[in-house]
Amino acid sequence: MLNTLMDAFALISTWEVVIALLAASVYGLVIGSLPGLSATMATALLVPVTFYLSPIAAIATIVAASTMAIFAGDIPGALLRIPGTPASAAYADEAYAMTRKGEAELALGAGVWFSAVGGIAGTLSLMILAPPLAEVALSFSTFEYFWLAFLGLMCATLVARSSPVKAIAAMFIGLLVACVGIENPGGVPRFTFGLTDLFGGIEPIPALVGVFAVAQVMRAMLTPEPPPIPRRKFGSILAGQWNLTKKYNVQMTRGNIIGIIIGVLPGAGADMAAWVSYAMSKRFSKEPEKFGTGHVEGLVEAGASNNASIASGWVPSLLFGIPGDTIAAIAIGVLYMKGLNPGPTLFTEKASSMYAIYLMFIIANLLMIPLGIVMIRLASHVLRAPRSSIMPVIMLCCAVGSFAIGNNMFGVVTVATFGIIGYVMEENGYPVAAMVLGIVMGTMVEQAFVTSLIKSDGSILPFFERPISAILAAMAMGAVIWPVLLWLWQRLKRKSPAPKPAG
Amino acid sequence: MRLPDRVTGSFLVLLGGAAAYGGWLLPPVPGQPVGPNVFPLVIGTGLALCGLAITFGIGSTFEEKEEIVPIEGGEAKAPPGKFYGLRALLPPALLLFYVAAADRLGFIITAALIVYATATALGARWKLALPLAVLAPIGIHLIFSKLLRVPLPIGLLPMPW
Repeated sequence: MLNTLMDAFALISTWEVVIALLAASVYGLVIGSLPGLSATMATALLVPVTFYLSPIAAIATIVAASTMAIFAGDIPGALLRIPGTPASAAYADEAYAMTRKGEAELALGAGVWFSAVGGIAGTLSLMILAPPLAEVALSFSTFEYFWLAFLGLMCATLVARSSPVKAIAAMFIGLLVACVGIENPGGVPRFTFGLTDLFGGIEPIPALVGVFAVAQVMRAMLTPEPPPIPRRKFGSILAGQWNLTKKYNVQMTRGNIIGIIIGVLPGAGADMAAWVSYAMSKRFSKEPEKFGTGHVEGLVEAGASNNASIASGWVPSLLFGIPGDTIAAIAIGVLYMKGLNPGPTLFTEKASSMYAIYLMFIIANLLMIPLGIVMIRLASHVLRAPRSSIMPVIMLCCAVGSFAIGNNMFGVVTVATFGIIGYVMEENGYPVAAMVLGIVMGTMVEQAFVTSLIKSDGSILPFFERPISAILAAMAMGAVIWPVLLWLWQRLKRKSPAPKPAG
Repeated sequence: MRLPDRVTGSFLVLLGGAAAYGGWLLPPVPGQPVGPNVFPLVIGTGLALCGLAITFGIGSTFEEKEEIVPIEGGEAKAPPGKFYGLRALLPPALLLFYVAAADRLGFIITAALIVYATATALGARWKLALPLAVLAPIGIHLIFSKLLRVPLPIGLLPMPW
């Protein structure tokens, strides 16, 4: 244990890792604080760079950029009422109300302080949950993996803030994309339409870059430019945060726990964690009437929650290769590329690398406090950069980055295509996150499904016979039936309107 | 590009049907009941069913109406023209232009054109767009070609490094 820890320290204390961590932190802070550029996009655009780094440095960039970007989204949320990332959308109104009351320092300070606390809590959960789960996961066969993947996909559709039918459809589209290529049980070209470029299948990373980055530039073409942040001087940022920590101890802990749970659930990420925690904070608050008027309580809980979900999102990713959210989906791609294939054995064979990941999460969250304060103070300068100077650079990064992944131009075509697909889907209420999960998990789901079918000689029964498999199957079935029940209930309610209370 | 659910739903029915049929046609693994054909068959059927449900408006009650955040202090927006929506297609079109032209023109020139076009489309004046179009490609070239050794096309204008 101590030896592994020392090894982990040795792994991360190289210049390459330190520089990568710092550079990615600054990058994450800037991208996250620019409205319209999400944390997922920041991470996706980093992937081509990680190709050329050592495994630990590559993971360091992903960890640092995603952690910083989630916090940095709070900055324009508080100053402009425009969330920098979707994860800050839940409480942007509240934070902006605080700024108007003259409490911008408190709102932003709460953002940076409780984000760091949440991030560290999330990391602890990763350290505590992952190794024992790995023990259990060692006995999993393809049946369990199939149900687990199925459950993950269903979760992704349940938590989407849109019609569940559309979310399921989006997931199927993603799975269909994953069908392309010759990497299937028969090894025959499938849906390649005679194009050799499609033989290798559609790479998830260019697809992600298209869906999250190109589609965003497309949207920017049609939306008005957000106003620049007014210049202002800030007082002490961290003043009063310790008092808040003591006062809202319960809320903070609850936010951490909710964030961790939602992070572990496949497909549900930081934005979901923030929405749920904010609603929860309001529900259980002693003074719910203050919410919406610039009250810090909800900020504490939701800010702690969204950062906690980032680290715990790595639990299913590292154990099963099932991403906890879209950022983890990208991280899985990087892990595979770097020879750290997700799976329960990772925790025994590559234990020092795992410890290195924990350490990097903790360092990134500690680093967030000083860097975040600097960023807040510089925000009014950095965020004055007009959109018309940032989007072109993003376009170039999309083109070069997707080319760099395979050193061929087909990657750029993929990015452009998925830009259009992502844009059209999002415009019509199909959640792209569900599709992304389908793309990332497709091959694994199919492998688990078909291998299980071959083992069982085409019979469905063995899918339910093993004990853990049966439990997972029941959960998965519940996830399928739940929206149907909800829908029926809604219909019944509408047919018989509630009687008016007398009086 | 907001299409009625009927349109997107019907499209999904077609897509799912095509996928299921395409899967059906694939040869199975010799001596096995299942092979590469099963998964597309299942997915395609599921997709077609979802498309059908969407066409008939099932589940639309769950959709939240999009909140429009009013932008304070902004001037009245000009009414969008008939082809305003097509502007959204500019970014993918520029990427395809990159695919077509980069090998011949080289990275620097193609990238400069892309940057200039994107910046102008987003409302930048030439005073901003022109220096950006010169500097951004050089910067990206430095990072990707020099530092990360990505073989970017040289074309007409080779860089001195």
